[in-house]
Parts: sequence; structure tokens; C-alpha cells
Amino acid sequence: MESRGRSHVGVTAMVVGLLVIASQMQGSIGIRFVIDREECFSHEVQYEGDTLHASFVVIKADTPWSYGDEGVDLVIKGPSGEQINEIHDKTSDKLEFVVQKKGPYRFCFTNKSPYHETIDFDVHVGHFSYFDPHAKDEHFAPLLTEIAKLEEALYNIQFEQHWLEAQTDRQAIVNEGMSRRAVHKAMIESAALIGVSVLQVYLLQRLFERKLGTSRV
Amino acid sequence: MVKLLLLLGLVVGFLSYTSESLRFELQSGNTKCVAEEINSNSLTVGKYSVVNPNEGYPIPDSHKLTVRVTSTYGNTLHSADNQVSGQFSFVAAEAGSYMACFFAPDHKPQTTFVVDFDWRTGVAAKDWSNVAKKSNVELMELEITKMFDTVKFIEEEMFNLRVKEEEMQELNKSTSSKMFLFTFLSILICLSVAGIQVWHLKTFFEKKKLI
Repeated sequence: MESRGRSHVGVTAMVVGLLVIASQMQGSIGIRFVIDREECFSHEVQYEGDTLHASFVVIKADTPWSYGDEGVDLVIKGPSGEQINEIHDKTSDKLEFVVQKKGPYRFCFTNKSPYHETIDFDVHVGHFSYFDPHAKDEHFAPLLTEIAKLEEALYNIQFEQHWLEAQTDRQAIVNEGMSRRAVHKAMIESAALIGVSVLQVYLLQRLFERKLGTSRV
Repeated sequence: MVKLLLLLGLVVGFLSYTSESLRFELQSGNTKCVAEEINSNSLTVGKYSVVNPNEGYPIPDSHKLTVRVTSTYGNTLHSADNQVSGQFSFVAAEAGSYMACFFAPDHKPQTTFVVDFDWRTGVAAKDWSNVAKKSNVELMELEITKMFDTVKFIEEEMFNLRVKEEEMQELNKSTSSKMFLFTFLSILICLSVAGIQVWHLKTFFEKKKLI
């Protein structure tokens, strides 16, 4: 009778444990937006002690000549308005911190350059639910813990991948700009050389004609 | 019995999804667009809603928004006018950047309202809560299936990253060879232009009987 009661509790505890893990199925939120002056986003964090990972990459800036390494500022504020982190003038950054209080966290981007910039922003809250085995059923407790850890690692990988992808996109845009500029530079250089030499010849001719004109009068 | 009820209560509490939406402010007359890179043949689910500033009262007309979801090529996949909340889902036909734009209607005193937006693609878009959970082993199977889907998605992303990197390498190689050619071209032009100058001036001076 006693053992049946214990196994019953064990089974339900395991069900609860599994469902706790099931409810942690969060991915990351990766979005791209165009920033003009300032843009703020807020994200709700439900559990204290979670690790919040955030990353941003400036994909491109709509500058003329597509040249510029301007970055953006990011200010992270907690639920009661306290400043958690501040990043200035960076084109890409990745950061993480442990959440002390639960509630909405605000991420505010400020664009200091006069041009529009496209930013790729990613937020991921990693929650690791510690399954405390009250049950005597010791087979499942470490299994559940390991599965939870595995899921957490997978979501971290996805987060890193998203950041890598954004960086690659940025580099692709920079490279395309560089290639175009190389062709333009060559054309302008040739045109300038030819123009300048024609001007030289013309000026010399004019100089000598004038000299010849005055001396042979 | 009480313990079982307590556990069941915990279970029901845990079954609700953790919210992972982003909130941003929208001013009257303004437009805010959010884009996301989506691979081909992946399911996308998006939910948007206006946060009610006064609880219990209906949301005023000035706080209704218009939504347009467009693909890279300009096809409109979802559009809604003067809505307070809604959702859209589609399977992305081609890979690229998909944009969801929110328009706020013009209002005389400039009002700002908060939009709650949740956009998921791929693995996170599948609705797992509908699958019936019959036994513990099936639960674990479900978890492991989810993880397998996530890993497959990661693998696809890796492949895409590799393709992009290869394209970049090709581009860099072509840029480098172009710069090499242009250096020689520029030296050639320089020398030929100098040669033509010298020849032209020589004929000119000989014509003017200076040389």
C-alpha cells in the first residue's frame, strides 16, 4: 500500500517535471527593423534568476556612398526603471545578464548618425528549471535534468547562429559596396588621368603660342 | 487526494506558454516595420495586439492599427485594417526577408499606444500544446521530437550560412582580381597618356619650328 502511494507520487511528480520542461519551449525573438532616431522595445521576463541574452547587429546604414562605420547606442532598463546596461557606438554586440527582478525589460536604441540604419535585434531568455526529485523514482530525475540542459544549450546555439547570420549579412553588404567602389574608382581614376593630361597639353600649347605670338611680332 | 489536486493545479499552471513577445510604441500617423529572414518552406505564425491602456474599457478608435505583411517581392500575405488584435500564419514560399508593417491612424492630439507583437518561425511556430499527452513515455518522446526538429532547423541554418559565406568568398576573389587588373590598367593608361603627350608636344614644337 505504502509503495503504491510512493510510486503514484513519483509518477505525477515526473509528469509535472516533464510539463515544466515542456513549458520552457522558448525560442529567441529575432527581428530586423529600420531605426530613425530612437526605437524602444520591451520584453517580459517571467522568472527571476533567468539569464537574458541580447544581441544586435547594424546590418546597413543608408549613407551615401555606402560608407560609414557608425554604431548605435543601446540602453537596457529593468522593470522599475533602473539602468542595467549601457552600450555606446557599437555596430554589433552580444551581452547577457542574470535577471534579478521579473517584469518588463526595456531595450532602447538611439541612432546618432543622420542616416537610417537597419538593425537586427535578438533577445533570448534562458530558463533552466531545476527539477528537484522528491520522488523515489530516481531513473527519470537525472534524465529530465539532462534533457532540460540540452534544450537550453540548443536554444543558445540558435541564438549564436542568429547573431552569426546577421554579422554575415553585414559583411556581405560591406563587400558588395567595396566591389562596386573598386570599379568606380578605376573608371574615375582613368577619366581623371586622361582629362588632366589633355588639359596639360592644351595649356602648354596655349602658353607657347602666346609666347611665339608676342616674340615674332 | 489533496496532494494530487495540488499537483494537478501546478500542471495546469505550467501548461500556459511563457510569453515571448516584443512590445513597441506606435505614434499616431506613424509607421513601424519589422522584418525577419525566413527560409523557404518554413511555417510562420504572427500575433499582434494593442495593449489596452485602460483596463475594462473598450479600446478607442484612435488605438486601432492597420497591418500589412509583405514578402521580399512585394506580395501581400496578410492585411488587416482598423483592428485591435489579430494573427496571421503562412508557409514561406521563397526564402528572404518578410516585412510586417503597422500603421497607426492619424489623430489630432498625438497619441502613442503600445503594440504587443509575437512572431515565430520554424520550430517555435508549431503548436505543440494540441498534441495529446497520454503517457509519460509519450511526453518524453514529444520533447525529444521537438529537440530533433530544432536540431534540423539549426542544420538548415548552418547550410544557409555556408552558402552565404561561399558567395562572399567568390565576391571577394572577384574584387581582388578586379583590383589587380585595375592597377595594371591604371599604370598602362598613365604611361600611354604620358607617351601621347610627349609625341603630341614634339610634333607641335617641330611644326612651330622650335625644335
